[in-house]
Amino acid sequence: VILTLHVLALALYGLATALTLAPFLGLRSAPRAWTIGVPCAGAAVHVVAVSQLTLVGLAPALSMLALCLVLLQLASERVLRGSAVALFTGPLAAGLVGLALLIGLAPGAEPSAGRNAWLILHVALSVLGLALLALAFIAAALYLLQFRELKARRFGQVFQLFPPLERLDRLNRFALVAGFPALTLGVLLALGYAARFAGGLHVGNAQIVWGLFTWVVLGWAVWVRLARHWAGRRAAVASIAGFSAVLLVYLALKLVEPGAERFL
Amino acid sequence: MGIKVLGVNHRTAPLDVRERFAHGAHEVPGALARVLRAGAAGGVLLSTCNRTEFYLVADDEQPAEAAWTLLAERLGEGRAARGYGYLARDRDAVRHLYRVSAGLDSMILGESQIQGQVRDAWEASRAQAGPVLHRLFQTALHVGARVRTETALGAGTASAASAAVAVAGKIFGDLAGRTALILGAGDVAEVAATCLVDQGVRVSLVANRTHERARAIAERLGAQALTLDEAWPHFATADVALCSTAAPHAVVTWERVAGIIAGRRGRPLCILDLAVPRDVEPAIAQLENVFLYDVDDLQTVAAQATARRREEIPAAERIVEEEADLFWAWYGGLGVVPVIKAFRGRLEEMRAAELERALRHLGHLTPDDRARVEQLSHTLLNKFLHQPTITLKEAAEQGRGYGLLEALRRLFGL
Repeated sequence: VILTLHVLALALYGLATALTLAPFLGLRSAPRAWTIGVPCAGAAVHVVAVSQLTLVGLAPALSMLALCLVLLQLASERVLRGSAVALFTGPLAAGLVGLALLIGLAPGAEPSAGRNAWLILHVALSVLGLALLALAFIAAALYLLQFRELKARRFGQVFQLFPPLERLDRLNRFALVAGFPALTLGVLLALGYAARFAGGLHVGNAQIVWGLFTWVVLGWAVWVRLARHWAGRRAAVASIAGFSAVLLVYLALKLVEPGAERFL
Repeated sequence: MGIKVLGVNHRTAPLDVRERFAHGAHEVPGALARVLRAGAAGGVLLSTCNRTEFYLVADDEQPAEAAWTLLAERLGEGRAARGYGYLARDRDAVRHLYRVSAGLDSMILGESQIQGQVRDAWEASRAQAGPVLHRLFQTALHVGARVRTETALGAGTASAASAAVAVAGKIFGDLAGRTALILGAGDVAEVAATCLVDQGVRVSLVANRTHERARAIAERLGAQALTLDEAWPHFATADVALCSTAAPHAVVTWERVAGIIAGRRGRPLCILDLAVPRDVEPAIAQLENVFLYDVDDLQTVAAQATARRREEIPAAERIVEEEADLFWAWYGGLGVVPVIKAFRGRLEEMRAAELERALRHLGHLTPDDRARVEQLSHTLLNKFLHQPTITLKEAAEQGRGYGLLEALRRLFGL
């Protein structure tokens, strides 16, 4: 059932991506009901699938991250009044679900009820923080693309279909500001989980390095936004640099400690 | 007399060339006087930001050559103006003006501003236009009105002003609460400012070379009126700067505003330069978070909104053709009566002369016989002239009389 639901979610995300890409390829735009309805249906199926997973290991984490991205995409479409975010979240979510399916998804051993609550909260908040950081990256990328078109006085598809700069900047700011407390809580819950259920802070070096690095990067991005009043292009570049650094460090650490059974 | 149009437009010449060819209202009489001195019977100069066109009524090519020379002088550096332009004659020239007036030849298909510009050009050239061009421009305005009422060519908002709002919206999102400053107090600036105000933009100040004109617009928009020199510090606070002065050179220069814009701490500034020649130095666009757009840019944006209007082109073209036929019939008929009269007069002279010579040798004829011979000459002349006269009148009614009349004039030296 988990596999079937994931495959169905993957198909719906793929269709949603195709619908979003259509106007950029010179095809007729799909009705708004479709561009909203298809990812909504995908997310609904995905929620059912994720609810049956034990959130331990890389594949469930990737699936959860994909779901968070799609849910954030749907929420952000209200802010942006457009579906440009789906240009990134659509393929990203489909890719993450596909990767999770390749790695292998199956119901795991059920932890105790107390452990489960800690774990779900830790994973959910950490993944939400990561998803928000990814959303900040996407908003920043869209901002820079639209900025480049506006500066270069090109009035093609990007100009027509991408949201205004101000809304993208607002989305970037919101994603960073909301993502930081989520990730901070996620890290604190991890520390609490380790202390309470794992008999002390017996966590791997890679998890500590990446967790703290991500937290510091997100904290820096929030700090320059709020304290240094960075906005617009400079803030977008900072978001992209931060997210890229987090991603690169994760991949580097994953190379050092490979294995599909652990997120890190 | 033939009708000619020569000039350049947005399709044949880039903005920097059109800027040089653009004539202010005060320059029109002088330019036309020069072309008329070369032999034109009438002339109208239509000069907008998208086109500079001379409409001429002339027999030969000298006036057209004079107009090209005049334009080439504005181009300078020994460059030929002809390479940037076009020349259409007679019915094609009539059709061209009708298409211009209908908005079919505009960069923004179906835009209505051109009709006012055609009217202004006609008014400005009234003393030099002559009867044919008076009629031509009068009917061109009628064609424009017909196309706008009988088709949807002018439907929607595909003007440069609405494009200005669209571009500013892509930078700021919601425009409500944003502030704008306006440099220049012309109609174009006011139209664009009104579009921005409709979106909730607050026009904070209007600056112009002449304070009085600035005050008139500022009062209408609820803004403060300033002179241009007082306006530069406000580039530090405004979100949108709308520039449309009549200055012959850039007034928003790097020296005047770069330092002030640097103090905005990265807040975006949208500068909409609607003036031709341009008001803003292109280098200003290099400043961080400054988005500069000129007339060509805005018209590119607006042109994208014309897709629906394109469907109306065939209907509009039909009206243009119909009206061009009517004008050409009038124009052909205009010359037919005097030419036929002259033609008949010439043949009548010949008949009378030949009859007199013949009767001198026929002195034995009785008065009744002489009268019969004279009657015969009249009848023969009328028989000979009947078919050509009918054909000429019919051709004139069908708009084909002009060529036949020219042939008649040449063949019989009329």
